[in-house]
Amino acid sequence: MVLRSVRSIPILVYLGLILIPIWLAVERLMDVTGSSPFSAILSLSDHPLGSEALYFSFIQAILSAILTIAIGLPIAWWLGRHQWKHLNIIRAALTLPFVTPTIVAAMGFLALFKTGGPIDSIGIDLRFESGFIGWLSSTTGIENSGHIIALLLAHAWFNLALVIRFVEPRIATIPPRFEESIRLLPIGRTRLNRARYFWWPMLRTSIGSAFMFTFIFSFTSFALVRWLAPDMWTLEALMAVEGGAAGIPNYRTEASLLVLGGATLQGIILLFALGLAGYWEQKKAVSNDIVSETFARKTAGEPSRVARIGVSLSLIFALAPLISMLLSSVRIRDRTNESYRWSTEAWDIALTGDLTYVSALEALSNSIVYAIACMFVSVLLGYAVASSIHAFESKGKKKTAMAIDLLSMLPLALSGVMVGLGVLLGVLKVWPELFQWYGLPVIPHAMLTTPFVIRILLPTLRSLDSSYDETAAMLGYSNFQRFTKVRIPLMKSSLVVAATLSIAFSLGEFGASWILLRSGSWDTLPILVDQLMARPKYFELVEPVAMATASLLMMVTFVLFVITERFREHQGGGF
Amino acid sequence: MTIEIQSLTLSYGENIILSKCNLHLSEGEILVVLGPSGCGKTTLLRAIAGFVKPDSGTIHLNGKILNELQPEQRNIGMLFQRPVLFPHKDVLGNILFAYRKKKERKMQEVDEIMKDMGIYEMKSQTIETLSGGEAQRVVLARALLTNPELLLLDEPLSSLDLDVRRQLAMEIRTTLKSKSIAAIHVTHDHEEAEIIGDRIIHWNELNLLESE
Repeated sequence: MVLRSVRSIPILVYLGLILIPIWLAVERLMDVTGSSPFSAILSLSDHPLGSEALYFSFIQAILSAILTIAIGLPIAWWLGRHQWKHLNIIRAALTLPFVTPTIVAAMGFLALFKTGGPIDSIGIDLRFESGFIGWLSSTTGIENSGHIIALLLAHAWFNLALVIRFVEPRIATIPPRFEESIRLLPIGRTRLNRARYFWWPMLRTSIGSAFMFTFIFSFTSFALVRWLAPDMWTLEALMAVEGGAAGIPNYRTEASLLVLGGATLQGIILLFALGLAGYWEQKKAVSNDIVSETFARKTAGEPSRVARIGVSLSLIFALAPLISMLLSSVRIRDRTNESYRWSTEAWDIALTGDLTYVSALEALSNSIVYAIACMFVSVLLGYAVASSIHAFESKGKKKTAMAIDLLSMLPLALSGVMVGLGVLLGVLKVWPELFQWYGLPVIPHAMLTTPFVIRILLPTLRSLDSSYDETAAMLGYSNFQRFTKVRIPLMKSSLVVAATLSIAFSLGEFGASWILLRSGSWDTLPILVDQLMARPKYFELVEPVAMATASLLMMVTFVLFVITERFREHQGGGF
Repeated sequence: MTIEIQSLTLSYGENIILSKCNLHLSEGEILVVLGPSGCGKTTLLRAIAGFVKPDSGTIHLNGKILNELQPEQRNIGMLFQRPVLFPHKDVLGNILFAYRKKKERKMQEVDEIMKDMGIYEMKSQTIETLSGGEAQRVVLARALLTNPELLLLDEPLSSLDLDVRRQLAMEIRTTLKSKSIAAIHVTHDHEEAEIIGDRIIHWNELNLLESE
C-alpha cells in the first residue's frame, strides 16, 4: 500500500504540472467569456479571422502531409531497398531537419527564397510572387500562393525525417521471400499490382503514422507560418497573437472566446490524430515477422542510378536551407547598388549584441540554462513516471498501467502556444509574482518535453531483464545501489537520448517562449532571432545578424544531434 | 542447521504452487530437488531468495527468520537458468560486482577464485565473447566471493552441452564442498542430480519426505 502511494507521487506531480495550468486557464477563460469550452468552439466564427484560421490550418496541414509523403516515400524506398555506403550519415543528414528549431528552419527557407537567393536566382520568386509564381496566383486565384508553397515546402522539409524513420526500416526488414513469392503468382506479375496487393498493405500503417504526425506538426506550426506565410493565419498563430488580450474581464471578449474555443478544438483534433497514429503504430508492431535490415538490403543489392540521383537530391533539399542561412550570415547585401560583399560583421554584431537588448551569447546562455533545467525536470520526472507505469505493469496491474500510460500521452496533444497560454492565463493570473521569476520558461518547456522522455524511457524499462536487478539483489545491493549501479548504466543510451532531445527541444522551443518571455534580459536564442527579423531592415546588417544568431542556434543543436545519433539504436523506426 | 523451511505455502490466485512445504538442509549439504519443468521448483527458490512472498510458513537460515527480510539482506547467492552478466562490465568488472564498495575488494581472493574456476585468462574479455559454460563459471565465481550462507542453483546447467554440463556439475560440487557452502539445486536432469547432490528429493515427494 505504502509502495503504491510512493509510486503515485511522480504521476500526481506530472499530471499536476500538465493539468493545473491548463485547468486554471480554462477556468479563467470560462469566467471571462461566460461560455463553456465546447460552446466557444461554435463561437470561433464570430472572430473576424477565426473561420479563416481554422480552414487554413486544416488545408495547409493536409497538403503538407501529402507533400511530405510524396517526397519522403521514394527516399524511404530507395534507402530501405538498397545497400548504401555511409547509410548512417545519409540517415542522420535527412533526420537533421526534424531536430532543427523551427525558427532556424524559417530563417533557412527565408534565406533560400529571398531576393537574390538561390531560388529567386533561378526565376522562382516565392516572396514577392512575380514571374511564374505571379502567373500561378492570378491563374488559380489563390492569394499568397508563393508564401503557401514556401510554407508547404518548409513543412515537408521539417517532417521528411518522419517518413524516413517510420517507413524505411519497415521496407528494409520485410523478408525478401514475400516479394519473391508474390512475383511468381499471377496477381504479382506487374509492378503496379505488387504495389497494390503487397507493398501498400505492408506499408500503409507506417505511412499512415507518418502522415498523421506530419499533419499534427503542420497543424500546430507557428514559427514557419509567422515568417514564411505572414499574411495567412493558422489557429496556432492566431491564438499566439490574440493570447495577450485574452483572459481580461470586459476586454476583447472575442479574443478570450477564440483562445478558449481554438485551444479546445485544436486539442480535440490533435487527440484524434494522435489516437489514430498510435493505433496504426500498434498495428504495425504486431504485424508479421521481420528479417535483419542487412539481409533484406543484400538481396536488393546496389542502388540504381535513379536511386542515387533521388537520394542525392534529397540530401541537397535537406541541407540547402541550413547552408543558405549560414551563407546569408556572411553575405551582406549593399542596399544601394544590389551588390554583395562577404563579411563576418554580422557575427561580430550578433555576439556583441549591438542591435538587441541581449547579445547572442547572453541569449545562448539563457537558452542553455533553461534547457539544462528543463532536462533535469523532464528526465527525473519522466523516469519516475515511466518506472511507476512499468512497476504497475510488473505487478500485473495492467489496466492501471494502461490508464496512466494514456494520461501520460495527453500533453502530446498540446502545442507550444497552447502550453504557453496555459501558463500565462492560468498560473500567472493566479500567481503574478511568477512573472518576475527567471526560470519561468522551464515550466512550459518541461510540460512539452516530459511526455517525449516517458515515451523514450518506458520501452527501455520494459525491455530490461528483471534478472539483472534480481542478481544484484542477491549480491547484496540495496534498492538505491541497484538503481545507480545496474539500472542507470543499462539505460545509459536511452537516458542520453532523452536528455539530449529534451535539451535540443528546449533550446529550439518557440511558441511558449514567444508568449511568456516579456523581459528582454531573459530572451532565448529563438526569441532573439524573431526579434531581429521583426526589426525594420533599413540597416543592411539586420537580416545577416538574425541569420548569424539562427546559425549559432543551429550549430548548438547540431552538436546535440550528433550526441543523440551516437547513442540511438537504429532498429524498428519511430522517433 | 543451515536452512529450515516449515509449512511454506504459496499460490498465484487459484493456482497453488507450494503447499505446506517442509525442508531441512544441514551445514555444507547439497540438496537437489528433482522435478519436471513448470512444477514450481523455481518458485521455491524465488521464495527462499525473497523475490516472491509466501502466503504462509517460515524460512529460517542459520537461526534467523528470513520472511521479512529483503533479498539483499538474506546473504544468499543464486545462479539463474541463464547466466546473468551485466553487459556494461567486462568479465573482471562482473566479478568485482560481488563487492558493493571499492574498498571492500580483495583482489588476491578474486585472482584465486578466477584461477580455480579457469577464467583468470578471460578477465578483460567482454561478456559477449564467453561461451555458456564460461559465463556460468563467472557467475559462480561472483556468487562465491560474496560468501553466501546458502547458494540457490536454478537449473544453471540446463542450456549447456552435455559434456560441458557434466564437467561443470562436477566442478560446482567440488567448489561448494571445498568451501562448505550449503546449496539447493533444482533440475529435471537425473544425471546432473546424481553428480552434484548429497541428497536428492523429487518435487512431488518434497512435503512427504521432509515431514516424515
